[in-house]
Amino acid sequence: MAYPYVSDHEVQIVSKHFGDPQQRRVDTYVERGGYQALKKAFDMGPEQVIDMVKSSGLRGRGGAGFPTGVKWSFMPKESGKPHYLLCNADESEPGTFKDRELIRWDPHQLIEGCLIGAYAIGAQHVYIYCRGEFFEVNQILARAVEDAYAKGYIGKDIMGSGNDLELTVHQGAGAYICGEETGLMNSLEGRRGQPRVKPPFPAAVGAFGMPSTINNVETLCAVTHIVDNGGEWYRQYGTEKSPGTKLFCVSGHVNKPGNYELPLGFPLSQMIEEVCGGMRDGNALKAVIPGGSSVPIINAEEVARCNLDYEGCVEVGTMLGCASVIVMDETTDIVKAVRRMVDFYAHESCGQCTPCREGSAWTAKILRRIEDGRGTEEDLDTLMQMTQQMVGTTICVLSDSVAAPVQSSIEKFRDEYLALIRRGERVGAA
Amino acid sequence: MSDIPFKNPGWAGNTGEFDLTEEQVRGDDFVGDRPKHGGHASGAGTLPYMLADKHPEAALFEGEYQERFEKILTRYPTKQAALLPALGLAQEIRGHVSPESMDRVAELLDLSPAYVRGVTTFYTMYNKRPVGDHLVQVCTNISCNLAGADEVVDAFLRYTDTELGETSEDGKFTVIEAECLAACGFPTCVQINSRYFENVTPDQVPQICEHLKSQGGE
Repeated sequence: MAYPYVSDHEVQIVSKHFGDPQQRRVDTYVERGGYQALKKAFDMGPEQVIDMVKSSGLRGRGGAGFPTGVKWSFMPKESGKPHYLLCNADESEPGTFKDRELIRWDPHQLIEGCLIGAYAIGAQHVYIYCRGEFFEVNQILARAVEDAYAKGYIGKDIMGSGNDLELTVHQGAGAYICGEETGLMNSLEGRRGQPRVKPPFPAAVGAFGMPSTINNVETLCAVTHIVDNGGEWYRQYGTEKSPGTKLFCVSGHVNKPGNYELPLGFPLSQMIEEVCGGMRDGNALKAVIPGGSSVPIINAEEVARCNLDYEGCVEVGTMLGCASVIVMDETTDIVKAVRRMVDFYAHESCGQCTPCREGSAWTAKILRRIEDGRGTEEDLDTLMQMTQQMVGTTICVLSDSVAAPVQSSIEKFRDEYLALIRRGERVGAA
Repeated sequence: MSDIPFKNPGWAGNTGEFDLTEEQVRGDDFVGDRPKHGGHASGAGTLPYMLADKHPEAALFEGEYQERFEKILTRYPTKQAALLPALGLAQEIRGHVSPESMDRVAELLDLSPAYVRGVTTFYTMYNKRPVGDHLVQVCTNISCNLAGADEVVDAFLRYTDTELGETSEDGKFTVIEAECLAACGFPTCVQINSRYFENVTPDQVPQICEHLKSQGGE
């Protein structure tokens, strides 16, 4: 398919049917081998499903990269309580646009993954928490779930296996913080989406006070293929510590922005040049944010030696996050870009913890002052000092996410800040 | 962005053909419109529409909407969990969530009105006051910003002759900035009511607005 752009470097597993509207139909999905993995899972038993996902080395695709099989094994076995599987489709990290595409092109792939996950952890009910702004996605997903119910893939005695599973699509209402797992649980329960203190961890006390597991959309989609083809099959892609493929959401100043499914460990510079068609207008690369706005910015020199896997990104002092690669060329005003990201966090801070609520707002104000040419050199020290106090002092990591772009940009692009401060005028913005 | 080698990638039609109807954009592959009573209970909590036609005085949770509300209640172990879907439903019916709607929801779910107000104001998607027929939300976050989203906002404000967050005099448009709409690969992304318009450039703004006006209050 000519889905926006495709590249020869891609290994299309979860994104195979992007651009093909027929895939949304349950009949087409089944004709193409759909719901066979679920049948296999029922034949294998929950323990073996967890072992298989463990052996595949699949790591959570939502940002933290925690091994999925291990996460599942934390669920209590015989608790006598209801268990829940929550699917996090509250995609709102700036730069990320994979979950929307995964659900709207291939909703049954996700539903199958959810059912396999629920079976493995002994959950009776799956909630897909889908972002509120996604009206279209919610409609497609809700209709796909209805179709799956009608065909007997969800509900009582699925495919004659004696297993009962329920699935509900829950539409969010516009809050970035609901993408945090405990914030999502609070929101699902009809509260403000403020994160909870951990421990207790969700596997012990989660949604509605019951043992719960949260997985990202892409993780659950990958599970479908792992159960279908085996853990070893998945390990043929990617690296030893980061096996498999990952959807990279590339945006910004490249010729062909879009979603590309590449094996983990792919070199970042090769991705920009060969997969994404190079830089816009042949401009020089200035900076890249490899994992969504919450991770440190890297400069051109670091881009050249960065491999796109969980370890490779840590080596150059950043994180893979949810692999949302934002590319900026030489015309970019870094101070403005950072200020815009901090504005976002100031807007989305839930207001529970003081360092985050006050810190994000003041960081945004100081950055705005510098951008307007009214800053002082002391402001940079204040920013560094203040963001330092925002790391690790709050319930969730939203506060840390403010610090990452601010600190990394001041370290790597100090000249730009200084130029604005000294001359009172912008650099970079032509 | 004109050389994207595909048509009809989804909701918006990235080809600049903004006068397509929603049905045309979805293609005949789309599996049909969801009924007001919500269809199967599993998806009853999702909002099928954000309509241009808004009825601030409409009856809340009656008839088909009552049916849908009751379906939503069956999907959660607690009554409170139906709060977000219920508020969404109220907004779908009236176009915004007024204090009166909040009180009604509180009554139905055995919650205090103050609590419901606290939750409603936490979330950005609930319009706390009436909005225009077309709620224009321009993403100005990082990826769209790199592509010039600020100029798109200005173009909308110029065309509709209004200020950010305000409704135009004819009541047609409310323009606001939105945080990342998760369409970063297709900047600038603009959400108008429930539909995404992608790859929007400032010079396309008048065309989009004219088209929306010609559709009127549906």
